[in-house]
Amino acid sequence: MNKVPEKVLTQNFGVEHLFKIDVYMKKGGYKTLKKVIKELKPEEVLNEVKAAHLRGRGGAGFPAGVKWSFVPQDADKPKYLCVNADEGEPGTFKDRYIMSHNPHMLLEGIVLTSYAVGIHHAFIYIRGEYENIARRLERAILEAEKKGFVGKNLLNSGFDLQITVHRGAGAYICGEETALLESLEGKRGHPRLKPPFPAAVGLFQCPTVINNVETLSNVPYILEKGADWFIQQGIPEDGGTRIFGVSGKVKNPGIYELPVGSSLKELIFKHAGGMKSNKKLKAVIPGGLSSPILKPDEIDIPMDCESLMKADSMLGSGAVIVLDEGVAIIDVLRKVTQFYSHESCGQCTPCRIGNSWIHKTVQRIYQGKGKKQDLDTIQRLASNMLAKTLCPLGDAAAMPILAIVKKFRKELESFIQGTIK
Amino acid sequence: MVEIFINDRSIKVPEGITVLKAAERAGIHIPHICYHEAFAPEGSCRMCLVEIEGHLCLELACATQVKEGMKVFTETENVRQARQGVLEFLLAEHPMDCPICDKAGECTLQDYYEQYGLFESTFMEQKERKDKNVPLGKGLILDRERCVLCTRCVRFLRDITQTEELGVFERGVYSEIGIFDQRLIDNNYAGNLTELCPVGAITDKDFRFKTRNWFLEKGASICPLCSRGCNIFIEHHPGFARFDVPKRVYRITSRVTSREKDQKEKGYWICDIGRYGYSYMDQDRAEKIVLKQGDSALDPKKAVTYAADQVKKLIYKNKLNRLGVISNTWLTNEELFLVKKIFTENLESQKVFFPTTAQREADDLLLTSDRTPNKKGAQEIGFSLEAISEGQVFDGTELLFVFWASPFDLDQLTGLMSKIKEVQTKILFTPFEREWNKDFDLVIPTAVPAEKAGSFTNEDERIQHFGPVLYSPGQARAEWEWLVSLGKEIKVDFKSYARLSSPFDVFQMMKKKIKFFGK
Repeated sequence: MNKVPEKVLTQNFGVEHLFKIDVYMKKGGYKTLKKVIKELKPEEVLNEVKAAHLRGRGGAGFPAGVKWSFVPQDADKPKYLCVNADEGEPGTFKDRYIMSHNPHMLLEGIVLTSYAVGIHHAFIYIRGEYENIARRLERAILEAEKKGFVGKNLLNSGFDLQITVHRGAGAYICGEETALLESLEGKRGHPRLKPPFPAAVGLFQCPTVINNVETLSNVPYILEKGADWFIQQGIPEDGGTRIFGVSGKVKNPGIYELPVGSSLKELIFKHAGGMKSNKKLKAVIPGGLSSPILKPDEIDIPMDCESLMKADSMLGSGAVIVLDEGVAIIDVLRKVTQFYSHESCGQCTPCRIGNSWIHKTVQRIYQGKGKKQDLDTIQRLASNMLAKTLCPLGDAAAMPILAIVKKFRKELESFIQGTIK
Repeated sequence: MVEIFINDRSIKVPEGITVLKAAERAGIHIPHICYHEAFAPEGSCRMCLVEIEGHLCLELACATQVKEGMKVFTETENVRQARQGVLEFLLAEHPMDCPICDKAGECTLQDYYEQYGLFESTFMEQKERKDKNVPLGKGLILDRERCVLCTRCVRFLRDITQTEELGVFERGVYSEIGIFDQRLIDNNYAGNLTELCPVGAITDKDFRFKTRNWFLEKGASICPLCSRGCNIFIEHHPGFARFDVPKRVYRITSRVTSREKDQKEKGYWICDIGRYGYSYMDQDRAEKIVLKQGDSALDPKKAVTYAADQVKKLIYKNKLNRLGVISNTWLTNEELFLVKKIFTENLESQKVFFPTTAQREADDLLLTSDRTPNKKGAQEIGFSLEAISEGQVFDGTELLFVFWASPFDLDQLTGLMSKIKEVQTKILFTPFEREWNKDFDLVIPTAVPAEKAGSFTNEDERIQHFGPVLYSPGQARAEWEWLVSLGKEIKVDFKSYARLSSPFDVFQMMKKKIKFFGK
C-alpha cells in the first residue's frame, strides 16, 4: 500500500467549470463513449465490466456486472436504468461531489451502461434536497443531447437513450432500490417484497437496473483502460478506487479517493490529517451510519467489503464518521435511534415498532430515567429486528445499535448509574 | 407434485404453492396476520417467518414457494423467538382495550398471544396515542390504536372493489390507515372490512357494542337476498336464562367453503345488502294462525283442515278451474315442488302465478339483478314464470292461495290487494305481520329461510342445501310442512304425502322426477 494512490474519479475535480461539456471533453470526456459505441458490442461492454469486479458503491457492494447480466435480454418489455442518487445514508456525501463537479462523467457512465444492457430510458432519482445539483444534471443532459451523446440515434449508432432527472422528497427509505422504484412510479415509497428482484420485475413492472452514482461513474474508466487496470487499482475481488467521505472530528474532513483496500487508519490519520485538536480517537463509523461502529483498536483494517465484513462491520457507502473522546456515546446512540425511528417507513412490524420502542427507551435513558436492564431490552429488540424485516432498513438500524450497546456497554451503564453526565 | 419436508414430515404438494399453504395441507398452522388467501402476499407483518434449511435467515412462509426437497421447520427456537418478537412489537403499541373491543374473542392478536406469546411485557414507554373513533363511511369506524397495519383493508378496496378509498398515511410508528380528502367509503362490499380486519381496528355500527361475539352461535345458511346465494353464517344469540335479549340475529358473516374458494377473489366476500339486511328475521313476524271468520286463533290442524275443506268444496262442485295460486321465488326448491305437485298435478290448476319482482341494479362482483333466491329453481321445477298473467289468475277465481315470503317488494302485493279482496276465499301463507293480513280469510304464519331446511338453486345453477339456524316463532312453520299437511288433508294423493316427513324426503322425490335435481 505504499504506492502513491492514483485518483480516477476525482482526478479532474480541481478543473474549473468541469461541469460544462466543453471542459469535460477537453479533459478527454466522451472519448470512451465514442470509441465503445463504434467498436464494441453490448455483450463485450457487459463482459468487460463483469471482469473488472466493479462492486456497488451504494452500500450493499453487489457486483455491478453480475447485476446487469440478470436482466432478461429476450423480454419484449422495455428495460429501464435507475440511477440511485438518493444518497440518504448519514455521513455520505460522495455522490453530490461527483454530480456537482463532474455530471458528465455520470452521464457517460449511464450511456455506456444503457448501451451494455440495451436500455432506452434512464432515470436519475436524486434526493430532493439536492435541488441545485438536479438542475445542474438537467443542464448537463441538455448539453449532451445537443452534442449527440444522449437522445435519439446517439452518435449515429442507431441507439436511443433518454435520461430523466426525478427528484425525490427526502425519505431515507427511498434509497432502498424497490422503494425508489415505487417512489419513481409516483406511489408511496414502500419497499417491495423480493423476489421478484428489480432485474426481472422493476420499474413499471419492467426489467430494471439500479446502480449508485459512483458505481456508474466508474464505467467509462473501466472501458477506457480495461478491466485488468481497474482491478489493479483495488484488490482482486473488489476493483477500482473508492471515494471515502470523512467527516467528524478530523482535521481535514472531506472526500478522499483511495484504492479499495486502503487502510482505515491511514485514511484518518494520514489523508484526513488526524484528529482535530489532537483529542484521542474514541470510535469510527466506517461506512455510513448503518455500519457497526469500530473501536480504536479495530481500525487498522483495509477498507474493502470482505475485510470489514470479517470485522463485523461493513464498508457500506464508504462514509467514515470519526468520533473523538469528547463525544458521549449516549448522544451517538440517541442520534442513531432517532434517525431510524424517524425514517422507518412503517410497513413491516419489527422496523416500525422496534425502532420507535428502542428510541423511546434510549430517550428515557438520556433523560436520566434509565435502568440497567434497559440495555438488555435494547439488545433483544434489535436482534428481533435483525434479518427479520421486509427490507434492509431493519438491519441498517439494528446493526449499529447492537454494536454500540455491545462495545460501549460500560460507558452506557455508568451513564445510567449517573457516574458520568 | 414436489416432495417437501415440514418439521421432518414428508408431504407431497403441487408445485408453485407457498410454504404456508403446503403446511396448511399438512395440518400445520403457521401464524400470519397480513396474509389473506384472496390477495398476493404482502409480507409486512413478519409473523409467518419459518426456518428453511440452507437459507441464511428466516423466510416468509406466505411468500416463499416450495421447491423439491425443501426442508421447512416451523417450531424451532429461532422461529418461536421471531414470532414472539413480532407479537411483542405489535402488543407494545396496542391499546389493550380488549374488554371493550368488539373483536375480543375472535381477534388474531389475542389468539396468537395465547398460542405463541405468553410473555410478560417489557414495554415501559409511553404508547402512541391515536384517534379511536374515525368514521370511514357506511357505518364503519376505525380505531387507529388497535390497527396493526396489515393493510388488508387497503388491499381489499384496491384489488377487489377497486374503489381505493383507504390508504396508509404518515410514516414509521405514526403510520395510520385513513381516507383521503374526506371521501368516505361508499361501496356495497365495505362490510367485509370488519371481517377482514384481524384485530378490532375496523368495526361497524351495526354490531358495535351490541353484544359479545362469544355469546353468539354460528349457523350455516344461504343468503336469500339475491340469486347469487352466497354462503353465510347467521350469528344469533340463543338467549340468556335470566333475561331477554332484544333480538335473535346480530350479524351475518361470510362462510368460505371449499367450493367458494374455487371462485378465487369472489368467494370470500358477501355484499352489504346481504350482510346488513337481516332485520326482517326478527321484525313484524306473524306468529299466530288467524281465521278471519270469528277472528280467533286456531291450532295448526284446524287451519289445515279449513284450507283443505275450501279445496274440497271446489272438487265437489267440479270447479277446480276456479282455484288460483300466487306463488313466489322465495320458496325453496322443495316447497316449489310441493306447490307444483299439489296445485298443478293433483288439482290440475293452471293458475299458478308468480308476480314479477322488480329487477334491480346488479354489480359486477356478486350482487345480481334478481333479488330473490330461487328463480332458477322455480324454472327447473317446471314453472314458466311469465306464462300466467295477473289477469288470468283472478279470472273467475273463487279460492286463492297466496304465498308471500319476501320481506321486500311490498308494493307488488299492495298493487294486487284490490283484486285479491274481490276473491271469495283467500288464504295467505306469510312469515310477516302486515297491514293486509286482516283482509285474508285465513293467515298461516310461515318461516323465513333462516328457519327452514331446504335448498335454493342459484344463478349459476348450483343447488345449495341448508338447514334451519333459528326456531320459527309461535305457530310459524316452514311452508313445506304446511304444504305436506295440506296435501295429506286434501286426500287426492294421500299416500305420497304421507311418506314425506322432511325436505330431504321431498328432495329425494324431486331427484327421481326432475332430471336437473338428479344429477
